[in-house]
Amino acid sequence: MLALITVLAETASTDVANATKEVKNPILPTLNEMFWALVVFVLLWALMKYVLLPPIMKTFQERADKVRDDLEAAEAAETARVTKLEQYEAELAGARAEAVALIEQARSEGDAERRTQITAAEAEVAAAKAEAAAEIAQAKAAARAELSGSIADIAVGAAEAVVQKPLDRAAQGQLVEDYVNRAGSQN
Amino acid sequence: MIFGLEFPPIENLVEWPNLFGPKDSWYGFNKIALINVIALVATTVIFLLARRSKGLVPHGVRNLVESSVAFIRDGIINETIGPDGLRYLPFLVSLFFFILITNLFEVIPFFHMPGNARMAGPAVLALITWLFFICAGLKAQGPKYFWSAVAPPGVPWPLLFVVVPIEFLSTFIVRPFSLAVRLFANMLAGHILLVTFTVLCITLFSATLLIIVLPFSFAMLVALTGFEIMVAFLQAYIFTILAAVYIGSSIHAEH
Repeated sequence: MLALITVLAETASTDVANATKEVKNPILPTLNEMFWALVVFVLLWALMKYVLLPPIMKTFQERADKVRDDLEAAEAAETARVTKLEQYEAELAGARAEAVALIEQARSEGDAERRTQITAAEAEVAAAKAEAAAEIAQAKAAARAELSGSIADIAVGAAEAVVQKPLDRAAQGQLVEDYVNRAGSQN
Repeated sequence: MIFGLEFPPIENLVEWPNLFGPKDSWYGFNKIALINVIALVATTVIFLLARRSKGLVPHGVRNLVESSVAFIRDGIINETIGPDGLRYLPFLVSLFFFILITNLFEVIPFFHMPGNARMAGPAVLALITWLFFICAGLKAQGPKYFWSAVAPPGVPWPLLFVVVPIEFLSTFIVRPFSLAVRLFANMLAGHILLVTFTVLCITLFSATLLIIVLPFSFAMLVALTGFEIMVAFLQAYIFTILAAVYIGSSIHAEH
């Protein structure tokens, strides 16, 4: 094992020694590569500054402007929407108030009409009642007059039959009528 | 040769011959340079495709580009520098896309080499960032930037003898170095890991009894590929956000 390691180490050291003799230092830069790197990079930088990048930056600016304009337009639309909504709500509140006023007015008018009609009906009923009372009174008076006349005739006839002589019909009739009137007033 | 497995030497993994230009010349165009150029072209094409798409709502490539730029603007600049850091957006977007695309070449077939697994790319980007945040500080604060960068407010003056050298090293030396090394080392390590498991898979496929290890090695290779994609994004993000933090600390004296 030790011999194998020794052989391997010797082989490796021989390889490294040979390589060291032949290989240039790979870390050190070479002039031609530096020259081309410098030329190419400076050219790329100039192209980037004056040709390649400006359109991209212009696009960025246009997009930023568009985004800003759209945002402003959106904000304006939002403001208009809020204003419109407030206006609509104000109109709605006005309409509601107007509707309530109309309802109140209709209700009060209805009440007044109802009261008027009730009053008229009551008056009509009172009139009808008075008329009926008058008619009753009239009928009652007529009935009483008719009744008193009949009662007087019957009573005078009966009295003449009792006393066997004619009586003064007018005086007796007056007495009967006075009696009937007194009796009617007592009822 | 280790345990019967032959791994390629490191230079085979990270050094590439020139596609054109003489060897060791300062303008030699190799695979890494090609990756850088493709990253430039790809970024340009992606952004141009995004420009062609119209409409207010982004889709497809435009969505990808706008999301990335918005992420760097909101998630990095606004969080680290503030609204006044928007003027640095082109630089930071360039950094992010360049690093991201060059990193993603780690898992792109026929390339399989992250551009930042070589020190040159990260070093250049770190040096540019270093210069950038110094210039941004000078522009914002004038010459007093150098003093505010090394002398944090509220430090008692005797401590300044200790703090100033530390802050100087930290701000002007360590920052670019750590930026470059972090990106380079992460990408190189990932590249070596993927190569290691690829070599293992190939070797185990032809071995005898060791073939029973092959499924595990292959599973690791697949998992590490996914992991490297995540690392590519993460390193691009880290480099970019650190660059933004450094710029922010330069332009704001109170930091």
